[in-house]
Amino acid sequence: MSLAQHRVDNWFAAQGWEVFDFQRESWNAFSDGRSGLIHSPTGSGKTLAAWLGPLMASGDTEGGLRVLWITPLRALANDTTRSLSEAAAALGSPWRVEMRTGDTSQTKKQRQRTKPPEALVTTPESLSVLLSYADGGKLFRHLEAVVVDEWHELMGNKRGVQLELCLARLTALRPGLPVWGLSATLANLEEARDVLCWGRDAPALVQGAMPKKTTIEALYPDTLERFPWAGRLGIGLVDAVVAQLKRANTTLVFTNTRSQAELWFEALMKARPDWVGTLALHHGSIDRKLRQRIEQGLAEGQLRAVVCTSSLDLGVDFAPVDQVLQVGSPKGVARLMQRAGRSGHQPGAVSAVCCVPTYALELVEIVAARDAWRQRDIEARLPLRRSLDVLVQHLVTVALGGGFEPEAMLDEIRQTHAFAKITETEWGWCLDFITRGGQALSGYPQFRRVASVDGVMRMTDRRLSRQHRMGIGTISSDTAMRVKWLSGGSLGTIEEGFISRLDKGDRFLFAGRLVELVQVRDMTAYVRRAKGSRKAVPRWQGGRMPLSTALADSMLGVLARFAAGQRDDPELGIVAPLLEHQTTVSRLPAPGLLLVERCKTREGVSLFFYPFAGRLVHEGMATLVAWRISRERPITFTLSVNDYGFELLTQQDIEIDAESVQRWLATDDLVDHLYASANLSEAAKRQFRDIARIAGLVFQGYPGSGKSTRQIQASSGLIFDVLERYDGENLLLDQARREVLEAQLESQRMRAALERLADCEVALVDTEALSPFAFPLWAERLQSQIMSSETWRARVERMAERLNAGAERGRRAS
Amino acid sequence: MSVGAVDVDVAGEMLALLPERAALWSARRTLIVADWHLGKAAVFGSRGLAIPDGDTARDFDTLRGLITAHAPERLLVLGDLMHAPPRPGDDWPQQLADWLGAFPDLEFVVVAGNHDRVPASALPAGLDARIDWHDNHLDEGPFRFAHEPEAAAGRYVLAGHLHPTRRLVMGADRMRAPAFWFRGDWGVLPAYGGFTGGMNIKPERGDRVFVTGPGAVVEVTGA
Repeated sequence: MSLAQHRVDNWFAAQGWEVFDFQRESWNAFSDGRSGLIHSPTGSGKTLAAWLGPLMASGDTEGGLRVLWITPLRALANDTTRSLSEAAAALGSPWRVEMRTGDTSQTKKQRQRTKPPEALVTTPESLSVLLSYADGGKLFRHLEAVVVDEWHELMGNKRGVQLELCLARLTALRPGLPVWGLSATLANLEEARDVLCWGRDAPALVQGAMPKKTTIEALYPDTLERFPWAGRLGIGLVDAVVAQLKRANTTLVFTNTRSQAELWFEALMKARPDWVGTLALHHGSIDRKLRQRIEQGLAEGQLRAVVCTSSLDLGVDFAPVDQVLQVGSPKGVARLMQRAGRSGHQPGAVSAVCCVPTYALELVEIVAARDAWRQRDIEARLPLRRSLDVLVQHLVTVALGGGFEPEAMLDEIRQTHAFAKITETEWGWCLDFITRGGQALSGYPQFRRVASVDGVMRMTDRRLSRQHRMGIGTISSDTAMRVKWLSGGSLGTIEEGFISRLDKGDRFLFAGRLVELVQVRDMTAYVRRAKGSRKAVPRWQGGRMPLSTALADSMLGVLARFAAGQRDDPELGIVAPLLEHQTTVSRLPAPGLLLVERCKTREGVSLFFYPFAGRLVHEGMATLVAWRISRERPITFTLSVNDYGFELLTQQDIEIDAESVQRWLATDDLVDHLYASANLSEAAKRQFRDIARIAGLVFQGYPGSGKSTRQIQASSGLIFDVLERYDGENLLLDQARREVLEAQLESQRMRAALERLADCEVALVDTEALSPFAFPLWAERLQSQIMSSETWRARVERMAERLNAGAERGRRAS
Repeated sequence: MSVGAVDVDVAGEMLALLPERAALWSARRTLIVADWHLGKAAVFGSRGLAIPDGDTARDFDTLRGLITAHAPERLLVLGDLMHAPPRPGDDWPQQLADWLGAFPDLEFVVVAGNHDRVPASALPAGLDARIDWHDNHLDEGPFRFAHEPEAAAGRYVLAGHLHPTRRLVMGADRMRAPAFWFRGDWGVLPAYGGFTGGMNIKPERGDRVFVTGPGAVVEVTGA
């Protein structure tokens, strides 16, 4: 055993810790020069598994930066830096550990480049910025390892792609560089490892400590009678939640959306005003300083409960948390387990999550989550490919950071999973785009960002360089407005669209307070405290995660189990009357069966389909079916979707039988038909907003530069239209459509679902009134979409007729 | 008569509202538009936001088609002909000059809007000379032609400036379209420029609203 290993053993012994097998396995693999992925739950010692390998390998401080530690969250960087430093000090290493994020001061950043620490904790974005400096190559010359923390959080999105490109760059600067990742539970761990360690020999997959024992329970009403059939905010169980909070010292109350978090916080405060000061609200739109204060309060055990969103999914272990509640659908098994893992950090403790359904059918989802977890039937995260917007940004970054030779660069990016299969055409288009802005933009000098100087692609314009550095990153920032007190002090951010629908004096709930809009100026909404009843709760984009396939399949299984009389779970006992009612008026959805209900209401004829494929797939399917029907005749549909199915509502009569249902759901020409549907282009337009920013097509503006540039950003939809009209070949438009297909409509998942449905028996049922499964879709209609094959004139005349008739009635009445 | 146009009696005069977001006052052989916002794309470009400038060409083409079809003697712009003073390298002043060159007999009258208040020297001399500028308003027949809809005693004001659009909802069906908006003593035209935003209007009882869209103008008055 080496001296270093002895020191580690002594230190562990002194702390009363045991060296786990997976830790020693990781250290050995590292000392063999291998790369790999360590899979272990939070709080199980995986940080030391990754950190002590490099730390033991070399003790000297010659040569500067040796280890890069990538973390997905700025908020985590602080804590990670501290624990890495503590370990280094305990082992007598002279290494310095520093962090570098967007919050680090300019002087410190400057010093880190001239006199780098031995280990640097940073984010993918800050790493990109480092690579944009001409002396970046020198900085990374002696790098011995890169560790990517929480890789599962990065892999499925563009930040992961950005990191893959950065790793390829680092590997080009330092051939053979080992890369290690840390990941929570995923179905596709091997793929996660391969993507991170792409092109490296025999990367290791180290299995960490066994998952802690986890239980899934539910709060539910005594009877179903007072429990709603639909609705997503459902604070009906607030009393039960209050009782549950009393049973623990510190509870995290997870919700699925920020709006839901606001409403639950309000409801809890109303129920227990005496808990003021010990109850907190935490979500991504709340001012960062406020959030940090809450996190600190949690760590110190001062808070009874925090109502939060995915903003607390990751991050520092808050040791005092001893209970986790999940309000609303768990959506996915892995996600629910990750949330459960936020509690019970004492060794051997059980992680428990208690689900709080917001409407009746969610009780079935909770049983389904428990079944799926028991069978370890969890979700995968799929890595992205061919994100050209990220590549374009990276190429400009490298052009700025010392330049690149095109052929060598193409070889380099092909060393990543994301661009291993990039075509010559795509590559040529990217080069054209950064050198002259592509076909449509060649008239604008600011899009001649990069030029060839003696065969090396470089960026030399200082103003453009500055703009580029400020725009590095792929995290989407909606056109958010700041929310500030009129008297000073920031509350957070809110989407512009929400504010624009309010008038001065309107009251809304924000950051746990009732506020009144005073004025809007320079992209800031000024508010003051308000009294009285609330009027609105902001809706933020995002947070509309679909039910996972694993959970949806499990749910059909639970329904089948119920139909077969196996009703042991207490939740099924509660929801039984509802499911029996469904069986009476219609049928119970089941594996191998596609249920379609038709119901005539005052509003027209509704067709309800229940494929159980998740909200996003249903959006695509609803569009597809509506479009295919509307090809047969002029017709206008209103579409609404949820995680179980979708509804098509029309004023016109419609013929339907099992054969036509199968025809509308066939996989023939799937992609063409999806492209052809109007909604896709709307969705692509929304998706384009981010792509345009990442690729440098829109400049966000300098901080505090006021509204003009920010407002321009909001018009990316307009640019999309114009690009579509005059530069149809633009690959970024193509990417927007592709991303919508793959990411938003989950076209792969949709194809799999359609193939499954093709083998299903179609059960067509006419219902007298809305069935229990139809009701939530009906309630969802506020967020519905329109699909029409009538002419613009016919449609507007029909609407005008209604409007004019309404006005006529109004006149007669008054 | 344009396909899809609607005739409306405004202050005793007959105006044809065209789907192309223009109005035709046949009695005086005058074609009226508002808020063309020439050069808006270029302004966006200079602020770091690139827009391939195709709408400009399309707007010229559409208007050329209307002039060919209706043969007006006069084109009247109710303000905001341009979005900003032309800058070196901008194409649109030359495009406008060329376009006008194709209609040597057409009177080109512009009531200056808030965006048009630029030094006369900003436009090429030949082009500036071709434009019959009116600084505040132009009174003719029963009308006062102005940029902003401000009431004028004894006259019916026709204006632009607001870029009115109307949001329509029926059940869950909804859409938004540029609109003509008439009230007791003023009327507002939709913005003519393709690259312009819009303001959702809230009509009051007695207002008349006509939305424009592909090949049609439809009255949607109900307030």
